[in-house]
Amino acid sequence: MSIATPKRKVAIIASHGGLDEAYPSLILANAARQSGIDALLFFTFWGLDIVTESKVDHLHMNLAGNASSNMPTIIAGLPGMESLAAGMMKKQMAELDLPSVREMLQILDESGAALYGCELAMKMFKRTKEELVPQVKDVITAGDFFDLSEGAQIIFT
Amino acid sequence: MDPARIHHVPTITTIDGKLDELSRQVAYLTERQRKNEELIAEMTPILKLVMATATTRLDALEKKGYFAFGRELARVGERVVEGFGPGDVHELGDAVVSILETVRAMTRPEVLAIATEATAAIQNVDQTEPIGLIGMVRATRDDNVQKGMAVLMDLMRHVGRAASLISERRSRSPMEQKRQRLAKVTGAKKSAKRAMGVERTTAVTAKAPAPREAPRAPGPPTCAAPPSRSTVVAATIDGVDFAADGSLVDPSAWTRELALKIAEAEGVALEAAQWKVIDFARADFAEHGASPNIRRITQATGLATKDLYALFPKAPARTAARIAGLPKPAGCI
Repeated sequence: MSIATPKRKVAIIASHGGLDEAYPSLILANAARQSGIDALLFFTFWGLDIVTESKVDHLHMNLAGNASSNMPTIIAGLPGMESLAAGMMKKQMAELDLPSVREMLQILDESGAALYGCELAMKMFKRTKEELVPQVKDVITAGDFFDLSEGAQIIFT
Repeated sequence: MDPARIHHVPTITTIDGKLDELSRQVAYLTERQRKNEELIAEMTPILKLVMATATTRLDALEKKGYFAFGRELARVGERVVEGFGPGDVHELGDAVVSILETVRAMTRPEVLAIATEATAAIQNVDQTEPIGLIGMVRATRDDNVQKGMAVLMDLMRHVGRAASLISERRSRSPMEQKRQRLAKVTGAKKSAKRAMGVERTTAVTAKAPAPREAPRAPGPPTCAAPPSRSTVVAATIDGVDFAADGSLVDPSAWTRELALKIAEAEGVALEAAQWKVIDFARADFAEHGASPNIRRITQATGLATKDLYALFPKAPARTAARIAGLPKPAGCI
């Protein structure tokens, strides 16, 4: 019995760099790989932070303007709240034995998911390939990404 | 002599005796009547006095408003009777002890003192100035306001606790139980369908009220509720029953020979490294009742994720579980 016939493929575009925004993309990609589905990830705009060496361990969670957060926006916008929330979220994730973002990237790479950075966003943020984590396969344009993701289901986060 | 006449002689004597008795009774009655008349004559002034006093008293009561109060009370009573049915009264009877307790608690002097103080603020309502947000913040600097806020918060906490108790009790009401039973029945339908190879959940299950999510238990990491274990036989191969997801209906029916056959169908060659993973999966399932996911396998066996994907291409944890005759592992990591 084969797991997925015909061969399935997902292409996930990560455009936000918050801690709470990074995980859905990474977990989706990992779940796809675990289910025998090919996975491609394209990190663009703020999503680049997820694969930037200097930022990957310090992703924050933005509470202000988050309707699901039970903290009032007027308080959530105070300085230090983002790191406080991120710290709390990290603690909760550690309790659930969820890997850190860096670990997730490593697991994804090892499980055969392909990670790409967006060339335009790289230019905008004046970032070089060397500043990205080693798991990023290449820096490509959106057009290249669509070529690679031919036949894939595309998920934008 | 005429016998009838002889008979009549004693009769006259009897009549005479009876007449005597009658006259005695008349005398008695006359005496009584006289006494009554005397009594009335004596009583009349007294009664007049009493009546006069009573009238003044009743008038005074009327003036004091007792009767108006009584009339109003009667009207309230009527309204109560109109508004409440016998069932309500029965319930009231049940609740009477707690009502009395509440009244006792509320009439304690310190509670009454607070209430009196609070009503003073309401009485002085014409002197109260409206305040805005800043005024509110400023008011919180007052010690008494702070104390009052603390009391109100505590009150709210108690009210909230009681409210959740009530809603909890309500959720155990017959209607809720009915709904839960319904949810159970539709849930059973869902798993039967899955076993028959229908992967997608149908509208029927979506319509059914979802049973309340169980609190997440600490333990192996999962980010999704483990799928309910299907025990319906989907296929029987060589006398072994398989469920629709390819797992064994009875994991204890697993043998190494069977594993070899499943692995062959999966396109996996079983060597020492693969056996290590399969043996771990079986041991872990026996211990925790759940198939291990990739992260658990890598953490427990020391194998890298990469190695796992090399040993079992495609979906390592799922393939290993299938070869081990175990259900599909849950979790996303």
